[in-house]
Amino acid sequence: MGGGGGPPRRGAPRRLLAVLAVLAAAAAEARGTAGSQAPGAAAMGTGTPPSPSGTAFEETRLHVFTLDYPHVQIPFEITLWILLASLAKIGFHLYHKLPSIVPESCLLILVGLLLGGIIFGAEEKSPPVMNSDVFFLYLLPPIVLDAGYFMPTRLFFENFGTIFWYAVVGTLWNAIGIGISLFGICQISAFGLTDITLLQNLLFGSLISAVDPVAVLAVFENIHVNEQLYILVFGESLLNDAITVVLYNLFKSFCQMRTIQVIDIFAGIANFFIVGIGGVLIGILLGFVAAFTTRFTHKIRVIEPLFVFLYSYLSYITAEMFHLSGIMAITACAMTMNKYVEENVSQKSYTTIKYFMKMLSSVSETLIFIFMGVSTVGKNHEWNWAFVSFTLLFCLIWRALGVFVLTQIINVFRTIPLTFKDQFIIAYGGLRGAICFSLVFLLPPSVFPRKKLFITAVIVVIFFTVFIQGITIRPLVEFLDVKRSNKKQPAVSEEIYNRFFDHVKTGIEDVCGHWGHNFWRDKFKKFDNKYLRRLLIRENQPKSSIVSLYKKLEIKHAIEMAESGMISKVPSSVSLSEYHEGKIKPLSPTEMENMREILTKNLYQIRHRTMSYNRHSLAADANEKQAKEILIRRRHSLRESLRKTNSLSRERPAAANTKRFLSLPKNTKLPEKLRVRNKTSSRVGDSSDSEMDATTTVLNLRPRAGKILREQRLRQQRPPSEFSMEWKNEVDGSQNGQGEQQEPGSLPQPSIGFRQPLLTRPRFGTLSREDLTADHGLARPVPPPRLVRQASQGERQRSKPENQPY
Amino acid sequence: MGSAQSVPPEMRALAERTGFTSEQIEQLHRRFKQLNHNRKTIRKEDFDTIPDLEFNPIRARIVHAFFDKRNLRKAPAGLAEEINFEDFLTIMSYFRPIEMDMDEERLESFRKEKLKFLFHMYDADYDGIITLQEYKNVLDELMSGNPHLEKESLRAIAEGAMLEAASACMARTGPDEVYEGITFEDFLKVWKGIDIETKMHVRFLTMEAIAHCY
Repeated sequence: MGGGGGPPRRGAPRRLLAVLAVLAAAAAEARGTAGSQAPGAAAMGTGTPPSPSGTAFEETRLHVFTLDYPHVQIPFEITLWILLASLAKIGFHLYHKLPSIVPESCLLILVGLLLGGIIFGAEEKSPPVMNSDVFFLYLLPPIVLDAGYFMPTRLFFENFGTIFWYAVVGTLWNAIGIGISLFGICQISAFGLTDITLLQNLLFGSLISAVDPVAVLAVFENIHVNEQLYILVFGESLLNDAITVVLYNLFKSFCQMRTIQVIDIFAGIANFFIVGIGGVLIGILLGFVAAFTTRFTHKIRVIEPLFVFLYSYLSYITAEMFHLSGIMAITACAMTMNKYVEENVSQKSYTTIKYFMKMLSSVSETLIFIFMGVSTVGKNHEWNWAFVSFTLLFCLIWRALGVFVLTQIINVFRTIPLTFKDQFIIAYGGLRGAICFSLVFLLPPSVFPRKKLFITAVIVVIFFTVFIQGITIRPLVEFLDVKRSNKKQPAVSEEIYNRFFDHVKTGIEDVCGHWGHNFWRDKFKKFDNKYLRRLLIRENQPKSSIVSLYKKLEIKHAIEMAESGMISKVPSSVSLSEYHEGKIKPLSPTEMENMREILTKNLYQIRHRTMSYNRHSLAADANEKQAKEILIRRRHSLRESLRKTNSLSRERPAAANTKRFLSLPKNTKLPEKLRVRNKTSSRVGDSSDSEMDATTTVLNLRPRAGKILREQRLRQQRPPSEFSMEWKNEVDGSQNGQGEQQEPGSLPQPSIGFRQPLLTRPRFGTLSREDLTADHGLARPVPPPRLVRQASQGERQRSKPENQPY
Repeated sequence: MGSAQSVPPEMRALAERTGFTSEQIEQLHRRFKQLNHNRKTIRKEDFDTIPDLEFNPIRARIVHAFFDKRNLRKAPAGLAEEINFEDFLTIMSYFRPIEMDMDEERLESFRKEKLKFLFHMYDADYDGIITLQEYKNVLDELMSGNPHLEKESLRAIAEGAMLEAASACMARTGPDEVYEGITFEDFLKVWKGIDIETKMHVRFLTMEAIAHCY
């Protein structure tokens, strides 16, 4: 229908619409005929003799509106489920107190139960049980990936021996203990369980003894125990997957084999090593490949996050293909990738990766719990008081015993032994969850005639651990006064101290001649620097983490400063008073000059912004340049504001200078800002917060600039009292009269100084663990003292080697 | 066991004073003998024979810490020329792991001692305050393995760190005081949240694999 150039332009859209209408009608008719094929056939069946095509044309009219559910059924239902899960999450958080008392997992299971009940009641059949394949292939990997990617590796490796010990020996202990004691119970004929063999009991024991990472994460992330405890329980839940897989498959095969020879037991042991080590190797290998790939992605930054997800998922399913431990593979892959990928990808990609990962894992977790609830309702249950209650009892007893005994042994090898409190929390934190749930559904019913009994028992245990233990662990932690984690923000000085301390410790160990942990870590670091980093990281300059952290903080700080000027919601009383005094001074020529400069600078930015947004590339560099500019200008302003000034006129330009970095990101607001510049000059430093980022949360350095701007205000109000402070060693030649220091007390500080978030914080389950919540008291009532910068060339040079890919 | 050099009654006194067990003292004595090449005392040059210490960027400071009279609890300032075994043990005692049966007080004083050791490593001029210059020196040494770093960045980092420390402590000083540097109390505050007592230890008993000196 596309005519030549002859017909006027206006006719083309109309023609297009006509085409579309016809196509739609044709499609509708096609569907309509498809839908009415059946009645057509039925009509034929009843004996009316018209030809099939004739039937179609005669029976149906043009359908104006059709409903074709089967066509979209599967994606539609998936979307509905996910939507329901997310809406449920929103619902929980509407009431503030609820998530802190009851962990989300419990609430989600309840929702699932409700849903299951509804479906059951409506259709009188069991609702769609969560397919084990769906769970293992789609729902579990994102959660493990998220956990592995953000795992504190250093702490993990420091405690690796203990974690491994608990995971392997502990799970073995639990599995065999529960299996054998349940078998003993089954022997008692009064309970009617004598048909369950030893092997079946052992299999049941092995699948129920696995501590579940999903449940642990769901419960522990709210109670904020100290990192050591958390890593012990969580690490155990990750590593025990290897042994669970082995035991499960082992006993399942044994159940199906007629005779068991000694060689099979050895095969089982060998299988364990292969499963565990093989999984880890696959993960590490693919992690390296992913890191290597990201080395070359700087031209197509848009798909960088995709590689992270693809490679890690690939590692999982490859491991599953070989029946190795998928969880260990994806964990190893994530931990490997994390180190190198972070340096190669841009800041935006990093944020994308982080958020997407959190989103996926959150959705998965929610779905898992809802499905667990839904699957509980149904006809696949068999209740037996003895079996169920003894299962529960044995689970608790053996876990407690196991942790206690194992800790006594491992404490001999640990320098910092685990106290009773720690042991209690570890034992109590052994929650079961969806993994054993899915494993029990995978049992072949031919070999397990009492499968329904097992299902019931597993469900009871899971519900008990998730509900009762999940709800009571928080008051218990408080009651026992377990050491909590102290979320400190990354401060440069801390990084320095930590690094210094590491070297000291290594040095002392060298003097002692002791090959400690540090020795191996050093060796690994050297190997890493020499070979791995050169291979896997794009611009490989030996980067010091201190410098990287500092630079990141500075740039973040600068960007925040710029953005905070726009959305400053916290009025400081000083600014208000200034406003009321009606300070509208006539603009001096220097001010005009400055305004013009500001405008030109912003026009520069506007021009950047109107560049066409190409889907295949992001204008990443614009932000880098912006950030650099901000940095340079801030140094300027710092210097200027700190220089001793005696005249009011000099203060104005200083104040004007600081406005420059207000204007950068959001140009549209600029004109108003300029107009009310004098009044709102004080607002700049008062509020800032940035997108929640794991590496740079609340900044220590931020108060500095905010304080400087507040001093601008001060100086405008009280010109005679000039305060500035310098380091004794720094200032040469201007020692006299500059020994005073800015007085902090006179300024009425807004107590909620820097807390206004720019983006609403997404309340993901696991997100809050990483990010410092704005409420965790960092209110800085006292502004820090300032420095005097002497050389201006230094600042220029700073911005030059900014080859941090952002 | 039963080496010729160390005398049992002295050892018991040593054990009491430094808190090591006799086995640990035996081990450390063996190491001491390795380092001092069968003389009575160790000098700074002897530390050059430890191979792995070469790669440590703050090597000089660590060696200094061994001879620092403040750490040896002999004088408030100055460097000793040589140290004997008792001094060696004194320094090593800063790195003892905590014991389960320590009460709060002892734990607190233990922690303070360890932190004081670290503090002395920063404070090279014995005045009890870490000034900006000293901080910068430390940073220079830490980053000495990194040739791409510029002086300016290091300066900025040092200043940033001092600012952070100052802001944490400025509440107490009056408006007219200049912020001199980080005092020991400020230093304590920085490390407040970190369990230095659990991190700052070396496992003295498990020293089977003793790296040999040249």
